[in-house]
Amino acid sequence: MEAKPSSSSPSTFIDQLVVPGDVILDLSNLTNQTLKLGGGLRQDGDSICVMKAGKLRFMKPNKYWVESSQKRYVPSAGDNVLGVVVDTKPENFLVDIKGPALAFLPVLAFEGGTRRNIPKFEVGTLLYVRVVNANTGMNPELSCMDVNGKAAEYGVLKEGYMFESSTGLSRTLLSSPPHPVLEGLGKKLSFEIAVGINGRFWVNASQSSTVILVGNAIQKSESLSLVQQKLYLEKLLKSINSD
Amino acid sequence: MQERVNEEDMVTPGEVLGKGTELKAGKGAYLSPHNNTVYASLTGRRSLLPPSPESPDQRPTVEVIGHKAHGPVPEPGCVVIARVTKVMARMASADIMCVGSKSVREKFSGIIRQQDVRATEIDKVDMHSSFRPGDIVKASVISLGDARAYYLSTAQNELGVVSAESMAGSTMIPISWTEMQCPLTGQIEPRKVAKVGA
Repeated sequence: MEAKPSSSSPSTFIDQLVVPGDVILDLSNLTNQTLKLGGGLRQDGDSICVMKAGKLRFMKPNKYWVESSQKRYVPSAGDNVLGVVVDTKPENFLVDIKGPALAFLPVLAFEGGTRRNIPKFEVGTLLYVRVVNANTGMNPELSCMDVNGKAAEYGVLKEGYMFESSTGLSRTLLSSPPHPVLEGLGKKLSFEIAVGINGRFWVNASQSSTVILVGNAIQKSESLSLVQQKLYLEKLLKSINSD
Repeated sequence: MQERVNEEDMVTPGEVLGKGTELKAGKGAYLSPHNNTVYASLTGRRSLLPPSPESPDQRPTVEVIGHKAHGPVPEPGCVVIARVTKVMARMASADIMCVGSKSVREKFSGIIRQQDVRATEIDKVDMHSSFRPGDIVKASVISLGDARAYYLSTAQNELGVVSAESMAGSTMIPISWTEMQCPLTGQIEPRKVAKVGA
């Protein structure tokens, strides 16, 4: 058994499946380069090691990270997530965003929010919010405004139904080119959908049968390959048209 | 001669220490008027204080010294060493471990509010860039605070983070009053650093 030489360039690992313990880069051969390490990578002395199983991704000029799909969400600043209100306090709403700790949504973090018009959210209200900061050891802070202070699309999601998914499916739903099942259903049916990067998505339509159909179709498509997804979509659309 | 006699056996609250005619009730004891007996009100050891020779009342005073009574208690104005337990948006909680140079016998909680972290630009303080959970800080007690915690302040040059662990797990070296560096990885982390030494 010959030992595999540790490669000095990570390009052999990009877009490949990596597991914890893999050394993807040996820093002793590089000079004067600044690398940005994202989630799932760690610097151990002179080598960059993988901490999480997944695909190694690279973005120019110097960003590396490991992408994987989990049911658990790790909050990070700038993400748009779907949260459920679990409690109200004088200064904040406590919102569950599927992370390790409850997140705080300040009562004033709304467009035109003052002490006089604090929104009254009941326990169980579904919100589309933005993560402002998610420092380690502290509860994440949320906001219903974008960076400029406008309401944008954030706020309460009324009616409809929320489905749970994995973080990988959420990313696929938000990526371009669009998810084939989502695109196909969108051409035939009318519904609105909000996707949170924390593994939750919400669907609303005029008829509840449409909501259930879209939600189940998306959840089921996660385990299917692209070809299987196209076949599944065709079968589904045929059965919609027939009734 | 004021010789305090400390006894070996422990007493518990409600135990009879003696008759009111023979003893005066001191700290940790009380006199029950209806049957004129002195009872203990704390758990601890009995201690007898002889009466001062000039006083007309020649009864010795009995006191009960609780085990926690030997430990130091934070007072406003003293410098304490505390370990940060939780960092929140506008304050940080810390467990007080030493008062001055003595370690405490029971747990005291302290709070460092955002406006007490430093002396300048107190409304722009970012708690996460000043403290992290697990840091050892030197702080001064501003007040007894509320029922839950003492109020602490690090708003002086000599107060602040004394020792902290980096994300890689090693003890960091202070490099300025706002930054500490990890010797293993070279990463710089922001903290409110205390000025130690001459």
